[in-house]
Amino acid sequence: MWIAGVGMTRFGKRAETLPALMAEAAGIALADAGIERPGAIVVAAMNPEEFTGEGNYASLVATHLGLSHVPAVRVETATSSGMAAVYTGYATIASRLADSVLVVGGEKMTHLPTPRVSEIIGRSIDAHERSYGSTMPALAGLITRAAMQRRNLTLKEISLVAVKNHAHGARNPFAHFQEPVSLEAVMESRVVADPLRLYHCCPISDGGAAVVLRAERTRVRIAGIGQGMDTIAVRYRSDLTAFRATQAAAEAAYRMAGFGPERVQVAELHDAFSPFELISMEDTGLVPPGKAGRTMLDGDTHIGGRLPVNTSGGLKARGHPLAATGISQLVELTWQLRGTAEGRQVDARVALAQSIGGLATNNWVTLLEAAR
Amino acid sequence: MTQEVLAASRCPRCRRVIAPPAAMCPDHPVAMELVEVPAVGLVVSFTTLYSPPEGFRSPLHIAIVQLEDGARLFCHGEETRGVKIGSSVSVEAVNSIFYFSHMGFAERARLFWRRAGYRGEKVAAISKSFVKNIWKGTDRGDR
Repeated sequence: MWIAGVGMTRFGKRAETLPALMAEAAGIALADAGIERPGAIVVAAMNPEEFTGEGNYASLVATHLGLSHVPAVRVETATSSGMAAVYTGYATIASRLADSVLVVGGEKMTHLPTPRVSEIIGRSIDAHERSYGSTMPALAGLITRAAMQRRNLTLKEISLVAVKNHAHGARNPFAHFQEPVSLEAVMESRVVADPLRLYHCCPISDGGAAVVLRAERTRVRIAGIGQGMDTIAVRYRSDLTAFRATQAAAEAAYRMAGFGPERVQVAELHDAFSPFELISMEDTGLVPPGKAGRTMLDGDTHIGGRLPVNTSGGLKARGHPLAATGISQLVELTWQLRGTAEGRQVDARVALAQSIGGLATNNWVTLLEAAR
Repeated sequence: MTQEVLAASRCPRCRRVIAPPAAMCPDHPVAMELVEVPAVGLVVSFTTLYSPPEGFRSPLHIAIVQLEDGARLFCHGEETRGVKIGSSVSVEAVNSIFYFSHMGFAERARLFWRRAGYRGEKVAAISKSFVKNIWKGTDRGDR
């Protein structure tokens, strides 16, 4: 399976409609692939009905792209919908239903007040836990406190994730935030869900991202893709400090690829909350258990470090337009493997993307490899 | 110390217990059976929200408590001062909402003396009113 084209909008506050944002990303990806009309379209959108008031999104987007006769479906797995759409595109080509697929995802939410956006995103949480006032930051706060104790993470190490990702975002013209932040600013930002602070949380962003998959050889190959699941109720899990869904997804992806984490040279991880980047490094096997915090102090995951993580700025700085996010990870990694990530290029042939759906209920790990 | 019980459910296949009771085991397509579990446990983690969702008062304290038989509960609490991961707490359901209270030395002593003062009454009932008093007047909205 090969990536033939990639494209994305700048993430952030956007005036355009969601179909327009998706069309912008799709147009760039199709032009990059040299394809006018793909064999199929997979659309990712998490809550377009609630955010935009419109439904029937696969047909809506297909028509908006001028591709109303191309078979289109919509895929949704909460915040990992984008990567679920890539998986669906992969399966469509692998089963020979089509020889090229446009995968396009996006979300439009900055036009709504923040409490309303949080409430809509929070519907992906177990209803009983939600009845206790649990929001995504609340659950992340519970996980963060447990992880700090169990995985020996400090608030400084967690805060350094946000500092690093803002520094990376400052080098990415597509990022929502392109300003660096200081460690002090992160550590002194207001408490959202103790011990999580505002600057440990990703922003609310609009944006679209797209990839074109083909059966024909290109410069970047999808070497493996894996899905992992966990209970929707966080209280049903015996360990808060690791995500079983990521571990299962990573295992499946490595098995498909025929290699392990030791070959990965650059990664995009789902840092919706800064500690998640550290948990995810351990869950994907990029560092041994209990060692992720140390990499922050050593600067290993900075651009120029031993294993750069979130060269795009991650969810923290690139932004998090929900269903666009997983796809935008592949956009960034494709640029890195092609050697066209201007201003933030790293030396890598094998890349890993990890996407978290809901509170780690439906996660994905994808491995990309540059063709020899 | 007094021990109340809470309604829970157990998987007949894997024996795991979850609360509140659910129809199906999360790990097996098997109907769960109703059980009662002692309402004491250890704090797994806790957080405080300063901008809670609509219908909740700030600051909102939320904890996950693991009961002795492994079931984990979401609970509200009056405060988290003095609470640590691993702290022993008692849990009580008030209007179907679970509340944890940290049984520090002072609370335990107070509970003991109150209990002595109401000799003859059921100890569980006193403990219940103790927790309820803490919670009187809280504004949780009507969900």
